[in-house]
Order: sequence, then C-alpha cells, then structure tokens
Amino acid sequence: MITRRAAAQLIAAVAATSALGAGTARAADEKTLHIGINLPLTGADAQSAKRIQQGAELAFDQANAKNEVPGYKFVTQSYDAATATAGQYDPVQAATNARKMVSDKQTVAAIGPQMSGSGKAMTPILSEGDLATITPASTNPDITNPKFAAQYRPGGKPIYFRTVTTDAYQGPEMANYMAHDLHVKTVYILDDSGAYGVGMADAFQKQAEKDGIKVLGRDRLDPKAADYTAVLTKIKQLNPDALYYGGVSQAGVKLAKQSYDIIPKVIKAGGDGMQTPELLTGGGFPAAEGWYATIAAPHMTSDTKAADFMKAYKAKFGDAPEDYSITAYDAGLVIIHAVKQLIAENKPVTRSNVRDAIQNSKTPTIQGEVAFDANGDLTDRTVSIFQVRKDTSKPLDDVEAQFHYIGVAPQA
Amino acid sequence: MTVFDLWLQQAINGLSLGAMYALLALGFTLVYGILELINFAHFNIFMIGSFVAMWVLQSFGLSGQSVVLTGLPLVGVLLAALIASMLFAGVLGAAMERYALRPLRGITGPAAMITTIGISYILFNIVVLGIGADSKNFPNPLPPMKWHLGGPDGAVLELRQVLIWAVSIILMGGLWVFVQRSRMGKAMRATAQDPEAARMMGVEVDKVILIAFFLGSALAGAGGMIFGLYYNFTSFIIGFTAGLRAFTAAVLGGIGNVPGAMVGGVLIGLIEAFGGQLIGASWADVIIFSILVLVLVFKPTGLFGRLAPTKS
Repeated sequence: MITRRAAAQLIAAVAATSALGAGTARAADEKTLHIGINLPLTGADAQSAKRIQQGAELAFDQANAKNEVPGYKFVTQSYDAATATAGQYDPVQAATNARKMVSDKQTVAAIGPQMSGSGKAMTPILSEGDLATITPASTNPDITNPKFAAQYRPGGKPIYFRTVTTDAYQGPEMANYMAHDLHVKTVYILDDSGAYGVGMADAFQKQAEKDGIKVLGRDRLDPKAADYTAVLTKIKQLNPDALYYGGVSQAGVKLAKQSYDIIPKVIKAGGDGMQTPELLTGGGFPAAEGWYATIAAPHMTSDTKAADFMKAYKAKFGDAPEDYSITAYDAGLVIIHAVKQLIAENKPVTRSNVRDAIQNSKTPTIQGEVAFDANGDLTDRTVSIFQVRKDTSKPLDDVEAQFHYIGVAPQA
Repeated sequence: MTVFDLWLQQAINGLSLGAMYALLALGFTLVYGILELINFAHFNIFMIGSFVAMWVLQSFGLSGQSVVLTGLPLVGVLLAALIASMLFAGVLGAAMERYALRPLRGITGPAAMITTIGISYILFNIVVLGIGADSKNFPNPLPPMKWHLGGPDGAVLELRQVLIWAVSIILMGGLWVFVQRSRMGKAMRATAQDPEAARMMGVEVDKVILIAFFLGSALAGAGGMIFGLYYNFTSFIIGFTAGLRAFTAAVLGGIGNVPGAMVGGVLIGLIEAFGGQLIGASWADVIIFSILVLVLVFKPTGLFGRLAPTKS
C-alpha cells in the first residue's frame, strides 16, 4: 500500500534525484542531509514505533537548533514499514522503503528498523547502496552475524549498526534469570512465526536447556489468528513452571489475555517485543499483570543521566518516552557525531564515509559511550528485566510506571 | 488434568470456536444459496460488527475487564450491543447489495465477486486508517463465572462460552425457522431454486436478495460481538482468519445449505482445537484445509450437499 506520505516522499525523492542529475559527489555538496527513518508507524506496534521515531527526531532537531554541524542541516524522512494487509510490520514494505532511501541521493544514513523481520529484508538493499542504518530496537543476531554476511551484507562492509544488544544475549539472559532467580524447572516456549520471535525463542531455548530447565514443548502462533486456547489448554495439561514467548505484540496481546484465563499461575515472560504500551492497552489488566519482559539495553528512563532528554521529549511531544526512544536518540547522536568527525577531518559527507565514521566512532550518549564491534554490534551487552506490576496511581498505559524495573539480567 | 479432562476441555474450546464460525458461515451460505455469489465483504462486516459492539459497550461506561454487571443491567447492555451491531452490520450488507451489487446483476463473470473483495478492502482500510491497527481492549461486563467439570483440576466451562453457544443456537434456530416457515423464507427458497420462475410467480426477487444480505450480515455482526466478548479484544484483522475458516466451514458443509453451514462451522472449530492439541497450533490451517480438500475430492458438494436442486 502506498500511503500519501510515502507517495509524497517518493515524488520528492524522484524530484531531488533528477534535479541533482544523479551525482553522489554533488549530493555531498548539498547542505541538507537526509536521514531515513524506517519504522512500523501504523501497524499493531504503532505506539512504540512512534516513540522510537520521536526519540530519533529529537536528536536531529536539537542538532539543527544548536547548529551542531555548521553548514549542514539534518532532515529526517520517515517511512512506514507496516502495511494494512499484514496489520503490523511488513518485510516487503521495509524492503521497498530501503530502495527509496538508497535512491534518494541526499540520504546519508538511516535509523531503524524496529523489527528484525524488516531488517533482514532491508540489509541486502542497504548494503548494495552502501547506506548505513542504526537500529535502536531490532535485536535478531543473524543480521550482523558474519556467518550470514553473504545474505545480509553482500556489499562487504557492515551497514547494520545497533544501539541495543542482540537476542544472542536477550533470550539467554532471560533463561538465566528464570533458572537462577525464579527457580524455574520446566518451561513451554512459543513464538509468533516472525524473524525476531523465532530467533528469540531459539536463543532462549538453547540457554534454558544449558541452565537445566526442561523444555516441555515448543509451538508457533499465527499472529493473525484469534484463538490460542487449543495450544494453551495443551500447555495447561503439561503444567510447566513458566511460559516463554518470543514475538511482538500482535500475537502477544492475545496470548496475554488467553493465558491469563487458562494458565493464570504460570510465570510468563517475553522479550522487548512485550515491553510495550500495546501489552498494557490491548492486553490490559489483569491480563498483563505479572508478565516479565526484557529490553536489550540498560534501563535509562528513570536514570538521572536521561533527565534532560526526558524533559525535552515531554516538552516537545507531550507524552512519555520509553527506553527505545533513548536508544533511537543515541542512534541519532552517533550519526551526528560521525558527520562532525568527517567535517573535522575535511572528508566529504558521503554515504560510505558516514558508514566508516560510524564504524569507528566512540560517541558519548545517554546510555554511555557507544562503540561497535567489527560486525556493527554494540560492544555493551546489558539486558534489563522488567515485570508488569499494576500501579494504580499512574496511567495504566504508561510503560515507565507499569513495567517495574527488576535489574540487569544475569549474563551466563 | 487427566486425559479425559483434557479432551473435554479441547471439545469445549472447539465448540466455542465452532459456534462463531457457524454464525459467520451462515452468511456466506445464505447469499451463495440465492445468488451463487461468494461475498468476501462478509469477513470485514464481521470485523466492523465487533467494533460497533465495542463502542456501544463503551458508551455504557464499560472499559476493559474492570466493570462487571449482573442481572438486568447485564442483559440490557448486552442486548443493546447485540442489536446495534446486528443492525449496523445488516444495513451495511444491505446497502452494499443495493448500491454496489444490484447494478451488476445479470452480468456473468466474476465482476460481482471482485466487487465484494473491493468492498472488503475498503472497509478494512477505513478501520486501519481511522481507528488504528493495534488490538483494542474489548469491554467484558460478564461476571467471571466458571464451572469446574470433573474436579478442581478438570476442564473449565466459562459463562462466556455458554453465552456464545446460547446466542448462536438462538440465532441459527431463528434463521432456520425463518427460512423454513415464513413467507419470506419460502420466497428465498424459491429464488434459490429458480429466480426466473420465482419472479414469474410474483416473488420480489430484488427484495429477497436484499433481505438475504441483511440477514447474513446481521449474523456476521452478532458474530463480531460474540468474538469480542469471548476474546476480550478486537482488531481490524480479525475478519481474515475467522472469515476464511467460516467460508471453509460453509464449503465443507455444502455451500448454500443452512444446516450444512452450522455443522461445518462446529466441525472446523473442533478440528482446530484437537489439531492444536495433537499436532501443533501452527499446523491448524494445514489440517483444516487438508480435510477440506479430502472431503471435496470424495464429495464435491460438501458433506450435506445443496438442499435446493441445482440449476440446470
């Protein structure tokens, strides 16, 4: 589906390309730098996507306002990665968006995607176009794994950077937490058939088995189906201590509701796909109560280091950010820092130079110094654990208030 | 939980699902029986019915699962929502027939079917763009009553499941009596057999078709409300999976055949529940459609065939 905004962007992109006579060298001389932002802005995850988008935009707005990079102006261009037919992120749409970004010569870097399924579809195109993207939320480890380099970076150099860690840590660390802190002996594992969900559940399963947790079964949910009672009844009969769900909110919200009815006493946990406002609004209480969730980053929204950001964000957008708003803001800072670096070194601001600068950057951000390993992964590997605990004194859809921060997950 | 309890529980799950599929399947079958037209907009009329029911319930101040009603207020609120969603869906279906499909009457080929697909997408996109794609928390004012069958660890029967069955049986029974006993029902059966002859005998065929669309869509609206009450959520996407399975149910039972649609719906629900138990939830569609293919290979008219003699 082509939205009006996407159509306008496409027209603008075509106009810009033809006006410039398709020359990268000349594009670099322009004072306007485009930053593509690819997120599922209308799908089932629209609320969290919007918070990520706003976090990223804030970084560039502030840089423009402070004239951080003299002579250059950053313009963010948002692309919706969700389609109506999918009802959530759609990898095909993400790939289309990646093509639009690559064909817009003024786009020097990108932020996103939120979903690993989108990431897998975008990386081959971004790689051929030598366009670096920094994801503030997508955590599937395959995308940056050198084993799959032929698939996800056919152009050679890493172009997929992250300001969060991966599910290679997120899934296993939840397993560790279950084994060591919650004393879970048996678990049933579900995923939502998506790239992120399956990868997350696989990583969890592997570590859970290592930790001595008995995996009683594994099944896959169809996110478009409404009824999960059959599989939940099966789980009830197996009577596991815990249920782990790898996936995002479209299936997750329904799972929360129905598992509350059928297996209310089982410990339930998910990854960052469940640490979302959607669980609180669509799932609601009491279904959401007690769910554990993780994020692949340090918890920052209540940290004093983020106080200025929190204030600026609330002033500009009126609502509360979440941790992935901060990782998105950090991603923006990395790009701005990289551009500044290039100018200081007197290098032209081209895509491939920006990519190199990001690869070698050490950027002071809210979460601390952000640096990347040779594959584009964040060197810091903090995973934070939360549990939904109803706080009636705060709005019931406020992630910050209703997800109670438990601590940093045990690493192995 | 013993094996018997487990199977009993899956049967309860399957029957609840099946009741909903059956309500939806009736709408497909009613229209197909008369027009030989597969109405794909039915999927999303069902979805819109659930939104209408949600808004009506919310307008009574209900939100989420926090407010519980009993007695007369509960019955009143549920009836209001049921009537509103059925009326809205019924009028929507009838309007679609009157303004989009009637002008195409008499044109052979797939034009009418494509039109229903188009309308389906229009409804779908209006909801996505106007209301949003996230799952909505559907108010549930039902008291959380449940009965334990076979001990505290046994199968659980919930009030909302009993309610689904009751509403479905009443609506399906009502439709059956209407089709078999009323004057209009007789006109419908006559039109299904031979529209030309029916017209010559003084049956107002246009009116009959309009009413078939109204009734089928109203049942879809009721199905939408039941869906919301049962699952406590609604979303723009619910029409696709449920609609496709209900359509399958109609074909399985013998499309155009009203009792066939009911049996087909219940069968699909049970297959889904037991398939999920025995093989895996991710295999539900594979199992359902394999059985459909098998049945059609051996009995191309579906389990019950068409009651009305086919047109020559």
